Amino acid sequence: MKKLTLTLTVLTLVLFVFSARTLVINSYMSDPAPKEVFSELVAEFEEMYPDIDVTVNTFAHEDFKTLLRTWLGSGNAPDVVTWFAGERMRFFAEKGLLEPLNDIFPNGFGEKFPEAFKTASAYKDKIYFIPQSWYWWGIYYNKAVFNDLDLEIPKTWDEFMAVNETLKENGKIPMTIGTKYLWTAGGWFDYLNMRVNGIEFHTEFTAGKIPFTDPRVKKVFEYWKEMVENEYFIDNHSAYSWQEAANRLFTGEAGMYLMGQFIKDVAPEDVKDDIDFFRFPIINPEMGVYEDTPIDGFMVPKNAKNIEDAKLFMQYIAGKESQQYFADELGRLAANKKVTPPDAHAQAGMDMILESDGVMQFFDRDMNPEMANKAMNGFVEFMMFPSRIDAILENLESIRQRIYN
Amino acid sequence: MLTKKRWWVPWAFLAIPLIMYLIWVIIPIGRTFVYSFSSWDGLSENIDFIGFDNFKMLFGDRIFTTALMNNIKWFIFFIIIPVPVGLGFAMLLDMKLPGSKLFKTLVYLPMTLSFVVIGTMWSWIYEPQYGALNSFLDAIGLDFLITPWLSDPQIVTFSLIFAAIWRQIPYMMVLFLAGLKNVSQDQVEAAYVDGANAWQRFWNIILPALRPSMIVAITVSIIDSLRAFDIVFVMTKGGPFHSSTVLANFMYIEAFNNYRMGYGSAIAVIQFAITFGFIILYLLNAMKNEE
Repeated sequence: MKKLTLTLTVLTLVLFVFSARTLVINSYMSDPAPKEVFSELVAEFEEMYPDIDVTVNTFAHEDFKTLLRTWLGSGNAPDVVTWFAGERMRFFAEKGLLEPLNDIFPNGFGEKFPEAFKTASAYKDKIYFIPQSWYWWGIYYNKAVFNDLDLEIPKTWDEFMAVNETLKENGKIPMTIGTKYLWTAGGWFDYLNMRVNGIEFHTEFTAGKIPFTDPRVKKVFEYWKEMVENEYFIDNHSAYSWQEAANRLFTGEAGMYLMGQFIKDVAPEDVKDDIDFFRFPIINPEMGVYEDTPIDGFMVPKNAKNIEDAKLFMQYIAGKESQQYFADELGRLAANKKVTPPDAHAQAGMDMILESDGVMQFFDRDMNPEMANKAMNGFVEFMMFPSRIDAILENLESIRQRIYN
Repeated sequence: MLTKKRWWVPWAFLAIPLIMYLIWVIIPIGRTFVYSFSSWDGLSENIDFIGFDNFKMLFGDRIFTTALMNNIKWFIFFIIIPVPVGLGFAMLLDMKLPGSKLFKTLVYLPMTLSFVVIGTMWSWIYEPQYGALNSFLDAIGLDFLITPWLSDPQIVTFSLIFAAIWRQIPYMMVLFLAGLKNVSQDQVEAAYVDGANAWQRFWNIILPALRPSMIVAITVSIIDSLRAFDIVFVMTKGGPFHSSTVLANFMYIEAFNNYRMGYGSAIAVIQFAITFGFIILYLLNAMKNEE
């Protein structure tokens, strides 16, 4: 690591000497597919601006999350960083560590992006975040497995439970999940809470305004417990990363996986078409239908060396062509509203979101980082020892009171 | 021929390492102590000082207790397994039996791997369904021993310690092999002539002569066990739900993942205090020997 940093520093210095304009981009797109597509976009940008030398440093996703803080706080920040919209961005914006990007939108944010994205991209009326792509969450399933067992797509919780049971009876793992890095468990909480208590409650909850010991929160765990106690989740999920758990879905050992669209990035070519999704089942029909739709994009650190060219890059990456290319290659939805969904799968995702009554980002993107980390640890403990739920929630409640009071 | 006029020459040579040591070791340690009395998030310009609150909070934090207990487990197992086993290998391979060079290399090999590689490798070995360990147990009919090595909260720490010990043993062996070179062969032979058996020669001649190596080995093991981090971070990140966390990992997560630089510093200060105690003991011993 030290050597790498040193090499990078030397490289940056050398580039700095030979060309007047260098742009350093630190990216978390470390999965092969997005990494490749992003490097193609960067190459195109370099062609458009031959004077600018772009260096892209790619970091593993989990490392990136902890490193970003260091970069933003240091005097030697990169010029552009990848990041998440919403609370995760605001955390840095409110500390004055980000460069406002309003001048990229002379005709307003709404000219390029849906107005609905503005709240997630702004802090106090200033835009700090350029959305690139977004995706939906859903229950991904293996079509071949469903066909073999004549399973229908479940729409309600009861139907969903029946599907789980059939899969289990036929020797399949009904629901795979890898909780080693915790956040996958956050998805389960998001959906159950939105289905049981609705989006207003969920928004209040992620803002830390509702006690963990609230009976409405406990109700969420009653549904979750049904999944756990019937042993519908894969065994030893805490030993797996999300990709390792996804392999079980691809091999057909498992039937379903609650996951974001990016699961397609890691699916082998020959099973890609067998992997499809359906909407998380409805629990309370009185309640609206809500979904998680995380937005990914870019920010410019306040102490970036080359803010001018960083903004040029932001302009480029916000544009229709580059967004279209990224979306087409990866099957994601582009944030730019002029881009049409790249394929039938993405169209289906888009349709599901358009039919929904409201959207959130994602558990650890909507919540204070520490609270999210401790809560997701609690969720994993619950998934292994459901009987401990009361102690877990009480412990989380004491943490919530410390953080928010 | 150092004249009094040139007293500054050694200092001039020392200045560069001393300045580097000051900048990268002493000052950061001092700052860690300062931050440990604050609620700093690692980013804001304002630092609020809150006295001993972080330390009070630590002693009520059950993750801290888990981390401390796990460090104690690391500590105990790092002393009772790698030290005697390493010594055993050293004795065995020092006998210059045929093939001992090959075995020396084989035993030494894990030492050449970084902890990150070892962590990744052992994660595969421990993989619950297809991992080498469980597959092996299944193949030899010991399937009742099959365990989710990294997801059972009771077992996970021992699984991590075992992976670390696998690398620690060759380290200890090398220390003792070097020590054995300094054992006076005359004394051993004299004991042999006087009719001492192999065990008596080992216990009364070789082992006392190995005392300096032994002290180094034990001190190194203690310090390594207290600063355990890499393996934990790579293999479990302290999970499931903090079960396998150790102080260093807990500190890292709090300071860098949860944006609690002040709290993380307090954990680091406690870890520093514990380690420092052992280092002092070691230094006292080393100084006594020099006199």
